[in-house]
Amino acid sequence: MTTVVLGGSASRTRSRRRLSGLFPASPALARALPTTALLLVAAGSVAVGVLPVVDGELVVAGLIAGFLATGLARLVDRSTAAGDGTLLVPATQFAAIALISTGTASLAVLFLLLGPVLSLALTPGRRSLVVAVAGTTAVLLAPRLLGVDSSAPVDLSPALVLGPLSAGLGSLAVRDTARRSGRQADELDRLRTERTALEAQVRTRADDLDVATRMLAARAQTMTSVIDAVTEQSIIGTDTDGIIRVWNPGAERMLGLPRADVVRARSIVEFHLPAELEAAAEGAGSGTGMAALVAAAQENGSDVRDWTYVDADGRQRTVSVAITPRSDDQGVHAGWNFVGTDMTEVRATERMKDQFVSLISHELRTPLSSILGYLELVLDDEEQTLTDEQRRYLGTVERNAHRLQRLVGDLLFTAQVEAGRFTVQPEDVDLAGVVRAAEETARVAAATAGVEIHVDVPENGLVVAGDAVRLGQACDNLVSNAVKFTPSGGRVTLSLRAAWRLSDGAISHTEQSAAEPVAQLAVSDTGMGISTEEQGQLFTRFFRASTAQRNAVPGVGLGLTITKAITTAHGGTLDVVSAEGEGTTFTLTLPM
Amino acid sequence: MDTSLSHAAPVRVLVADDEDDIRDLVCLAVRKAGAAEVTAVADGTAALAAARTTVPDLAVLDVSMPGATGLEVCSALRADPATAGIRILLLSAGASLDDVARGLSAGADAYLAKPFAVADLVHQIRALTGRRTETDGLPERQPA
Repeated sequence: MTTVVLGGSASRTRSRRRLSGLFPASPALARALPTTALLLVAAGSVAVGVLPVVDGELVVAGLIAGFLATGLARLVDRSTAAGDGTLLVPATQFAAIALISTGTASLAVLFLLLGPVLSLALTPGRRSLVVAVAGTTAVLLAPRLLGVDSSAPVDLSPALVLGPLSAGLGSLAVRDTARRSGRQADELDRLRTERTALEAQVRTRADDLDVATRMLAARAQTMTSVIDAVTEQSIIGTDTDGIIRVWNPGAERMLGLPRADVVRARSIVEFHLPAELEAAAEGAGSGTGMAALVAAAQENGSDVRDWTYVDADGRQRTVSVAITPRSDDQGVHAGWNFVGTDMTEVRATERMKDQFVSLISHELRTPLSSILGYLELVLDDEEQTLTDEQRRYLGTVERNAHRLQRLVGDLLFTAQVEAGRFTVQPEDVDLAGVVRAAEETARVAAATAGVEIHVDVPENGLVVAGDAVRLGQACDNLVSNAVKFTPSGGRVTLSLRAAWRLSDGAISHTEQSAAEPVAQLAVSDTGMGISTEEQGQLFTRFFRASTAQRNAVPGVGLGLTITKAITTAHGGTLDVVSAEGEGTTFTLTLPM
Repeated sequence: MDTSLSHAAPVRVLVADDEDDIRDLVCLAVRKAGAAEVTAVADGTAALAAARTTVPDLAVLDVSMPGATGLEVCSALRADPATAGIRILLLSAGASLDDVARGLSAGADAYLAKPFAVADLVHQIRALTGRRTETDGLPERQPA
């Protein structure tokens, strides 16, 4: 609410303006005009003989003075510093009336006094009142003062008292009335202004409300249309007890029931597998039913996991459900949102893929056992020595059989990681020894490829907690990759050193008191490098860099996936920095 | 035939694997390890029957076999006092820690994942039959 307060000064200014409403730009002229009009009447009356003329010169002088007063009023209005000039006009008019009154020796002429008296009554200030009284007195005394026949038939003595008194009281009365009407007009003005302001406020509020209402309606419409447009995901909203309030077409399609049959009539718990809810309740230590369903979301703020939905026909669907709390417009918890994606086919495919990989890997291992076993018997048979050529051929068979064996091992290991079954049984492992062993393993291949391997490890070793075999596998992968991707004449550097991981994740190579000690292995090569666009995909299963394909570097794209998985399982990190044509550095950081 | 064993008592070994090639390979390794008698069967049921009949010193069992799995045979042998003393070596294509743990839980004395090096198998057999010698003439090979 806005309160409109009008100042007193402003009120007075407006009152003055109202007095000269006819000529807003010429207030003195406006006040002089009634007297001018009366003078014209008096002139007419003299001309037609209604008024007697005792001294014609005085009458003419009075009329001229009266019209001069009108002219004077014009001058006063034009003057920027009117000041007392305002009072000069009625004073001149009084003089004119005095001359006419004396020249006609008629009391009837006194009606002319109304003009200046009223004019002065409407003029603010005490001096105007004094001028009115003095002017009236002067008019009444004029015949005597000017020495015109004092034996006039009328005695002017009472008029000398009553005239100025009447003029004064009349002026006061007029002024009071004007003041009162001014105040009332001010009040009316104020009320009118307030009403206008209030009306404007009401209109603004109404407009705002209208806009807000339309925005809310539009938003609700947008939300509804978005929710209704989702047909591949179920969006279900419930109250805190699980009673369904929102049920989109995706939910209709997934669970086979129309919105009308479900909203406010069914609980979301009815669409879940009871055994699963019981298991969840047991796992979370919560109540059964709805409490079990939302226990994790309640604790963590949200929850995404697979649940089994049971549709209207009793069919079960594996659904990845994101559960989040829902609040009302006051921010008070009002229920839960369940956004579900049907993963039945995806999960079945994943299971089949894992089973396929496991099966194939198992089935490959058995023939590999025969190949490698019999090869071993032949190659190691001391009684029947082989020719050099035979030994070379069988060596090729053995090398490729081992390559196949590694691939099978990698596939099985990847499947194990994907299934979340890979864990580490930590023991003290000297990483320096692991790095030296990796160099030894790669030495022959590096020499064949014309690549120099340089090893820089602490002489006293560097012990980390981990799985020696898996860490060896990770190092082997990094070194083998570096050798494979480095052209002849290049260099591979294995650098192992202690470092400290700061709270912000940065690595320092000088000891920090509050930092976590880590072991950092950098495997750098001067090889072909990896493009920036491909670096983000390096650890993805079966990904092969375009440089590897262009340069026919052998591999299936599992090595880095496995190395990353091993590193992660040890609580470490694996980072890559590479520039195409310049080389690559993989940095493996492990907690000590 | 290796003749430098630590004692001369004949060692009897039962080999059970449904893969002919692997079974023959294991039999070769067993003989290399100095066993005097080798009984070879191709399924779990036959393995159980042969073990109960011959009560060998060592049974080398494949885990995945028709009739009864190596794990089932292993458990059955351990449950029978007459066969509970037989040393058991399991061979399997499963190489994960879980696989090994399952094998040892079933009562096996040792577990070897396929593909294995013959030298390793010979070492295992000798260790389980108490026939390890310092110079057994077998070349050392790194596990594959």
